[in-house]
Amino acid sequence: MTAWTTTSATSRSRRLWESAPASFKVGVAMLIGHILLASVGPFVAPFGSAEIGTGIPLSGMSLAHPMGVDQIGRDVFSRVLYGAHIVIVLSLAGTALGLVIGSLVGLLSAYVGGLFDEIAQRVIEAFVSIPYLVLGLLAVYAAGPGLAGQPALMVIVIAIVYAPRIARMARAAALDIVTRDFVTAARLRGDGAWSIIRRDLAPNAASTLLVEFALRTGYAPALIGAFGFLGFGVQPPTPEWGLMISENRNLILVSPVTVLGPGLTLASLVVAVNLTAEGLARILGRSADFSVR
Amino acid sequence: MIFRLLSLRFLTAALTLLAVSAIVFAAVEILPGDVATSVLGQFSSETARAALREQLHLNEPALHRYLLWLGGVLHGDLGIALSSRRPITEILWPRVANSLILSGAAVVLYIPLALLPAIAQARHRNRPLDQVLSTSTLVLASVPDFLLALILLVIFVVVLPLLPAASVVTDSTSFGDWLRALLLPASTLAIVMAVYAGRMLRDNLIEVLEAQHILMARLRGLPEWRVIWRHAVPNAVIPTLNVTALNLTYLAGGVVIVEKVFGFPGFGSLMIDAIRFRDVPLIEITVLIASAVYVLANLFADLAALLLNPKLRQARA
Repeated sequence: MTAWTTTSATSRSRRLWESAPASFKVGVAMLIGHILLASVGPFVAPFGSAEIGTGIPLSGMSLAHPMGVDQIGRDVFSRVLYGAHIVIVLSLAGTALGLVIGSLVGLLSAYVGGLFDEIAQRVIEAFVSIPYLVLGLLAVYAAGPGLAGQPALMVIVIAIVYAPRIARMARAAALDIVTRDFVTAARLRGDGAWSIIRRDLAPNAASTLLVEFALRTGYAPALIGAFGFLGFGVQPPTPEWGLMISENRNLILVSPVTVLGPGLTLASLVVAVNLTAEGLARILGRSADFSVR
Repeated sequence: MIFRLLSLRFLTAALTLLAVSAIVFAAVEILPGDVATSVLGQFSSETARAALREQLHLNEPALHRYLLWLGGVLHGDLGIALSSRRPITEILWPRVANSLILSGAAVVLYIPLALLPAIAQARHRNRPLDQVLSTSTLVLASVPDFLLALILLVIFVVVLPLLPAASVVTDSTSFGDWLRALLLPASTLAIVMAVYAGRMLRDNLIEVLEAQHILMARLRGLPEWRVIWRHAVPNAVIPTLNVTALNLTYLAGGVVIVEKVFGFPGFGSLMIDAIRFRDVPLIEITVLIASAVYVLANLFADLAALLLNPKLRQARA
């Protein structure tokens, strides 16, 4: 019995894979590459992440230094490899936190309705009306100097930026569900709000939330990069890509490759996740809305 | 009916802005704990902190301070910047003007950047040109804006040394230099916006080109450019007005980072500096303005959708 279910599941996922759009396959392949690099990166990197004197500073692209050497003599390629898991882990953690907070607020708001929903909607709308980068900067300021530069702050910032947007999405998805009979039945049965949200609303909103999560995760590395670039992200000498771009920005005229190396790696990660997310959306029959920015 | 709907929409926009002002005030003056210590640092003297508290009315209750601040903003009295000790209105407006010029230039560039590839794609639909352009817009949509800015910088400053690397403008900058300084930041913003509208425009154009009146125009023997520009484009553009208004919301945050990349002295770089120097009154007003731009652009998007779609008008009313 178990064997039968497994084969059926495998052939089903194989059929899904075969019918998936080509862009989805490309995205998944790129994503697997990124995850592999992130997991083995620190072990295969030719130099240490903070090792100086690895070559002639700003000597450009070479076989020993595919992404060049930065101004204090660190090998940029090694630093990109070391940074990969930082970027991925922070993005996933921040988006996941935002998803949990956002879905809870959104589902609760749709379920409770009435005045609570009205107020929640206004507050969510206000948060969404602050451009995401500006909201993030505001959060960095409000967190104060104690948290500044901590990786945890980046997780919180991403969650704060994403939670209201995810809440709006979750609320819209749940509004369709709360009017269905099985929710009414659960309510009449005497189930509590928490139980209905967990057992009825969340599972039915899951595919919408999954696509939302994938799309948001795709843009999170760019957000982390932007904060690193502006000097409000993690602190040096952390090999975070945005921070590396900003460190090498002033010498871009002398050595473009030290900026483009981490930059294009960041872009390819975002492209990989976005292609995967868009494909996922099409497979699940949801529309992928790229208005994340 | 439409009047009631419009006034309701204006009212929610005003309410949203009011809520934004409360969030901003709380984030800047309540959450960081003692504002004076947060601004001046842990090792500041008690006298300096007391003076700052006096200046910012920090000894008053929070609600009173909020109302005082809100009243000041509504009257155009923005207070004094902490870092430069100059009236904020004096610092703010030249920067806002610069950013408006930058945004204007971005919108001017945005129109052909969205339109031309979409027309080419619609005319060569599902052929290699369309596929190449489709893939590149998809990739471009994923490239973060600050990175796009740096890539343009490498192309037009390093590889083809045509443009200045830093967009420094002062009062004495000549018109030609102004244009050269604007070109890279404006193109960055324009490309980001065009990518979104272009994908939609392509689909609309393909749909319109199938319509009867296009066939009619072709049968009348009109030249192809006339069929496209006179008969197809106007019909395809109307549904994208909504997206264009939404794109303006991107500008509210986009200018912040793009100005920083090119060192353009606009409103966005002022905001970054205000946050870096923990300049409380300046942070509050710049964040509020960015959000106001966002809310207004959203309002325009809704109005455009409402005016262009009679069905929506009736369904909601």
